[in-house]
Amino acid sequence: MAHIVIDTCAGRESGREALEAAALVSLERSHQITAVGDEATVTAALQRIAHDAEHLRVAHAPDLVDTDLEPAAAATKSPRSSIAVGLEVLARDPQAIFISAGAPGLLVATAQSTLGRIPGSSRAALAAVYPTLRPHGPASDPFALLLDVGATVNASADDLVCFAAMGAAYAAKISRIDRPRVALLSNGTAMSGAPSRVRDAHRRLLQSTKGFEYVGCLRADHVTSGDADVIVTDGFTGDVLLRTLEGVAATGETLIKRAAERFQWRLGVQMLGDAIAAVREFTDWENYGGAPLLGLDRAVIVTQANSGRRAFVNAIRLGAKMDRLQVLEAVAAGVAELSNPTVPPPPEHAA
Amino acid sequence: MTTDDKPADAKPTDDKPAETRPEKPRRLMHLRWDLDKTYLQTNFDTVKDLVKTFWQKPEDKVSVVGAQALLRALLDPADRGNRRVTFISGSPRQMRRVLMKKLELDGVEPDMFILKPNLENLLRGRIRAIRGQVGYKLKSLLLSHMAAETVDEYLFGDDAEQDAFIYSLYADILSGRVDAVRMAAILSTCKVYRHDVDEIMAYHKQLAGSGDVVRRIFIHLDRRSPLDRFAAYGARIVAIYNYFQVAVLLFDAGVLPAPPLLDVIAAMETAGYTPERVANSLQDLMRRGFVQAAAIRKLTEALQSFGASSFVHKFEDVVKSMDHLQRSPPPWPDEINYLGLYHEARWRRQQQRLLGIRLLD
Repeated sequence: MAHIVIDTCAGRESGREALEAAALVSLERSHQITAVGDEATVTAALQRIAHDAEHLRVAHAPDLVDTDLEPAAAATKSPRSSIAVGLEVLARDPQAIFISAGAPGLLVATAQSTLGRIPGSSRAALAAVYPTLRPHGPASDPFALLLDVGATVNASADDLVCFAAMGAAYAAKISRIDRPRVALLSNGTAMSGAPSRVRDAHRRLLQSTKGFEYVGCLRADHVTSGDADVIVTDGFTGDVLLRTLEGVAATGETLIKRAAERFQWRLGVQMLGDAIAAVREFTDWENYGGAPLLGLDRAVIVTQANSGRRAFVNAIRLGAKMDRLQVLEAVAAGVAELSNPTVPPPPEHAA
Repeated sequence: MTTDDKPADAKPTDDKPAETRPEKPRRLMHLRWDLDKTYLQTNFDTVKDLVKTFWQKPEDKVSVVGAQALLRALLDPADRGNRRVTFISGSPRQMRRVLMKKLELDGVEPDMFILKPNLENLLRGRIRAIRGQVGYKLKSLLLSHMAAETVDEYLFGDDAEQDAFIYSLYADILSGRVDAVRMAAILSTCKVYRHDVDEIMAYHKQLAGSGDVVRRIFIHLDRRSPLDRFAAYGARIVAIYNYFQVAVLLFDAGVLPAPPLLDVIAAMETAGYTPERVANSLQDLMRRGFVQAAAIRKLTEALQSFGASSFVHKFEDVVKSMDHLQRSPPPWPDEINYLGLYHEARWRRQQQRLLGIRLLD
């Protein structure tokens, strides 16, 4: 059974919803759950929440993180923060999975300094999923994997190739895709306008794609089409892209609400109510369960800062699934294959 | 009556640490057990479950993990003459033979076994008495109270019905904290039938203030109810997730020695409990202030000499991880607002009936 370590100092209601999610899971599943946070606060909150104390333990983290500080300064000022303590618990137990909605910068930096890396990987990547028009894999998974979305801002060509291998191995396990289609995010299919690191990565990926099918470069407007199962980019671009996609979805929802304010359109919006609800459900990030941080020898799942109970429950489910399917081992194997590549036939449509 | 036996002394004050509470067994130990969901794993949430439970064979009935080991340990054969066990169950009297057989298979010999006259209630049209527990259980507790001067009572119930309310009220009747006027008001609010009210009031007259003999009330959280539901009853009631927690508290109070506690752990291990899971229960007790780090150290030392090293290591980890903890034990009950608690529980039951069980309060 998986050991879920959950940060109860971040997320909606100052982490209260993270604790509620942990309590709910303790009742429904037999995972070992460690709630990390100020022990007195957590114990007092647990008095009011139905939970199973046989499956739930508290790890005391007395320091609160100052989110206004840079990661290094925050780590120095709060050495016993929930992130630091949670990662310590994680480092001690190979079966553990750490889930946090804490400051991503601090989380990634502390994770990289506390935990080991998988052999062959020098940088970590945050892998987020995004719904696409075309389903993926035999289970018709609607999500494509986008990495990195913020862990490694300056990624080299080596890093991008490694991310491709890690993302493909992750998608192969989670979405049950035999040979995931991997693409590099670029500004066009012609490589001349791409930065040198993307060009280098492209060249190398054309030669070394044992565990996946490299489908070439993909423009940002094709990200949601579902042409690729895994889209690889650096942390800066990935974060910008993900925020843009979320912003577009939020704007669409606001526009629909505004339309409903106009009397003439209200009937039309009402008639489309079910379809709008389905789209909303489809694009709701709380359903995705968070972004795993790949490249480390332990499982870390980063959820959004305003994650609620549902987001945390889904993140726990994702963590349990990662444990059950031995995703970390598969990711390590995928990266190891890079050093022993075979040359597959290049895809026809690659530039 | 010695100074130690005085009821007033038996009520610990808020500032007393858990270890100094007067929980040492006296001459006679009287254990009062509910059966379904407390001793036996019973499911009667639907009519189908109820029928299935009724027709279940004794050998098919399963006791709650650790309950049998704990009860057998508490009924110490070497001192059986000073131990009493009474079962008071809401199961119909027609199940007596099956239930007695089950207890016999478990090696438990009850001194008293009280079952509910459901058929009689039905034939007499006392429909409220079939569902209600207050009148029946309170009367049975008072009826089976042992009027010995030196007796310690430990009560075991669950969170499925009103055990916490009834047991606590019973304890307060004996300690003299509930006078006749208040008693009558409580029974009237609980809609107890006139006949039962008369009987209970007669017992009240006879037993009120006879002694603060209820040492602890253990409520098995079969439904995993939130803990704050029992906070108003004070530390006399301990909501427990499993019988290992009871064993630890009784060990800490000097009632249970280490070897039988090991039997409880063994029963839990056989049922698939991992050392991690048992240690979580220990941390829960510690965080709630029911046991202190020193008591757990005493426990690990005692267990170390009997083996069980995998459990001992986990217990030590728990103590180490909670070394910052300076939690005082919860306060002992002072004035319990029974009418308020009854209405609160009734409102919650109605909500559950309409909306299902709410996991988050």
